[in-house]
Amino acid sequence: MTRALDGLRVVEFSAGMAGPWVGRFMAYCGAEVIRVESKQRPDVVRLYVPPGQPERGTQPQLSPWFTDWNAGKRFVALDLTCPDAVDLARRLVAASDVVVENYSTGVMEKLGLGYAELRRAKPDLVMLSTSGYGDTGPCRQYVTWGPNIEALAGLSTLSGFAERDCTVTQYAYPDALCGLHGLFAVMCALDHRQRTGCGQYINLSQFEATVGVVGHQIMETLANGREPRRLGNRALHAAPHGCYPCRGEDRWCAIAVFGDAEWERLCAVAGRPEWVTDPRFATQPARLEHAEALDREIAAWTSSQTDYALMEALQSAGIAAGVVQNIEDQMRRDPQLAARGFFESIEHLVKGTVVANGIPLGLTGTPGRSGPAGAAVGQDNDYVFGELLGLTPEALRHYADAGAIETGDDEPAGA
Amino acid sequence: MNAAGDAALRGRRVLEVADEKGVYCGKLLADMGADVIKVEPPGGDATRRIPPFWRDEPHPDRSLFFLYMNTSKRGITLDLTKPAGQALFKRLAETAHVVLETFPPGYLDALGLGYRSLEASNPGLVFTSITGFGQSGPHRHYASCDLVASALGGAMHVTGAAEDPPVTLAGSQAHQMASSFAAASSMIALFHSTLRGEGQHVDISVEETTSSVTHICGAGKWLDDGIVPRRWGTGLFHSVPSGAYPCKDGKVYLMVNRPLHWKALAEWIHEVTGNEEVLDPMFDGPSSNRQPYRELLDLFISELTTRLTVEEVYHEGQRRHIAFTPVNTATDVTRDAQLLARDYFVEVEHPGVGRLRYPGAPYRHAETPWSIRGPAPRVGEHNAEIYCGELGVSEDELRALHADGIV
Repeated sequence: MTRALDGLRVVEFSAGMAGPWVGRFMAYCGAEVIRVESKQRPDVVRLYVPPGQPERGTQPQLSPWFTDWNAGKRFVALDLTCPDAVDLARRLVAASDVVVENYSTGVMEKLGLGYAELRRAKPDLVMLSTSGYGDTGPCRQYVTWGPNIEALAGLSTLSGFAERDCTVTQYAYPDALCGLHGLFAVMCALDHRQRTGCGQYINLSQFEATVGVVGHQIMETLANGREPRRLGNRALHAAPHGCYPCRGEDRWCAIAVFGDAEWERLCAVAGRPEWVTDPRFATQPARLEHAEALDREIAAWTSSQTDYALMEALQSAGIAAGVVQNIEDQMRRDPQLAARGFFESIEHLVKGTVVANGIPLGLTGTPGRSGPAGAAVGQDNDYVFGELLGLTPEALRHYADAGAIETGDDEPAGA
Repeated sequence: MNAAGDAALRGRRVLEVADEKGVYCGKLLADMGADVIKVEPPGGDATRRIPPFWRDEPHPDRSLFFLYMNTSKRGITLDLTKPAGQALFKRLAETAHVVLETFPPGYLDALGLGYRSLEASNPGLVFTSITGFGQSGPHRHYASCDLVASALGGAMHVTGAAEDPPVTLAGSQAHQMASSFAAASSMIALFHSTLRGEGQHVDISVEETTSSVTHICGAGKWLDDGIVPRRWGTGLFHSVPSGAYPCKDGKVYLMVNRPLHWKALAEWIHEVTGNEEVLDPMFDGPSSNRQPYRELLDLFISELTTRLTVEEVYHEGQRRHIAFTPVNTATDVTRDAQLLARDYFVEVEHPGVGRLRYPGAPYRHAETPWSIRGPAPRVGEHNAEIYCGELGVSEDELRALHADGIV
């Protein structure tokens, strides 16, 4: 079946998640994505030690996040400190459409693989360069990971309960959002290239992209000169609007009520008609003013309820409600995710099959799918340099002997 | 505002009929140069009433959410529930590359404005729907909102302090991510459409996009280690050390993921505090080696950071290649030296009202720069321009449509 990006070729010089996730999506949509690695400086996900079997040491093919960020790609190994390897990388780029890189700022230039050089090899190249701070400015070489960017962009201070000054996700949110913004940025440049024949360089600062998704909050400072209020789970225009305890340990249901009609329906579900006429709760402005008392009353009611049954009862009354699901809930107790086949079984080159969270691009005409996961460093050297670039077996051996192409299945050095 | 110059999406037209779930998608497309026509019901969209407001004046053109999310768009009003409104929408859809909508599944179909109806006369059309749960499945008609999507999508369970209830992120991030998926997916579908002439229906579910964004705490990890992730304070469970640490005048965020970064940090702690224990080789290597000693290492790090200011830890730490960053407030962000050096913030003129600074480009295209080409439209601001100027509706007809409450 045709996929939307069939025929495109992407070369990645990348590590971690924010860069690799762009290629992961493109591979899912049919692009041939070739990731360049080096054994000298292994990606952080290659340093994975299986938590149940620490005695096995680092397992460069087994990290579940390596699957999440890299399934379906080709992998080559080059020692880019060798001029021959740089030459091969340039030839690979010349045969490709897109380059994605997220090395530290300036590294690609130092290697001789900056946009100016690569463009000589491939005049209509689209190149995305992404880093924590972008490629200019006083902090351009600073080191960051996803959670650093949450803090830097104000998200950690804006989020959470009023009494907490720093609230952070466990899922390195900026990595995902910058991956998606990077993907969109590349697709915009490809649309432009389709219509004009011109490629271009794109620089993405994860700091800037993350400020962008809280831009409407930052506007409060820019327009009115004050900090936005930290609301926790509350809203300025809906009440009740929160996360309420249910029966069991760490079980919760989120409930949001927009307007008086929904409120009256909630009171009916709760069997508390007196709430409707209680002057503290009768209108939305009153409920917002008495949010604390309101939350206490609702929580007293929900504490005796079972989470999923409560969600069903409220949804039957047309009220937005949802169980606070963990991953086990999502995989075992969510009929919606199951019906839509959200979780994907992916072929794994070592483990046979693995299951991963889906890539919900929703392309109903050209559905995507994940290729194999768990590739070894340099596993596709022969295909890429032999078949694709047309090197003879003698040439391949020469490059391997000279150390430009890294071969063998020895494990990467720690770094 | 039409003169997009050399914007990447110049010449691409998007019809947006979207609530909070989809407005950011429209903004992403509009600021890249697409001609995004925002279709609002007569009287204006409900999102115009979202607080807070510019200078605290409740007014349909002063909602900061609305202003931010609708830059570079043109605005028209149209009643899609009336046949005359539907006919106009169909004519507009014939000129569009992308239709972006956020109605409940089946709503536009019932009005004769669904994908099947529109693609008949525009086979290359990309029709992007964003709904709480998607177009299919037993929950497709369930009510959703950002909070509920954060809950079902697995985000809230793993955000915040261990001893607190689950908590959502500020700024409706479930919706912003659904919009980001929708924008990327629409462009992928458009790439295919340009090449092969075939459009398609893009079916975005906010529950699913949230579940995808939270995959680090997802299926692969859980099936691998058997530990269901939950809230864990400011540090990441798998990265030791990591988290927010106190300084003299605020907090810094630290993350150590590479053995070399740990060594650099241990040496700095030793230099400043004289701590010998921190240099013990048993703390070296991958993060998993330090996992049993998280609390002890947090103490060692705090002994360093509490002696210094945020700025000192930030810049000296980074000089040593350690990932320290300040925990910024929104005000700090608007004054950040890096953002100012890159001219990140942009000024937008609001005719008759004044100038306002906005957050700027999320990415910088060298040849086709991102730009805000105008402020969010006022209610029906471009009715005459689009209906009369581009669709060929006469001024008399427009007056009649207005009188009938269609526009």
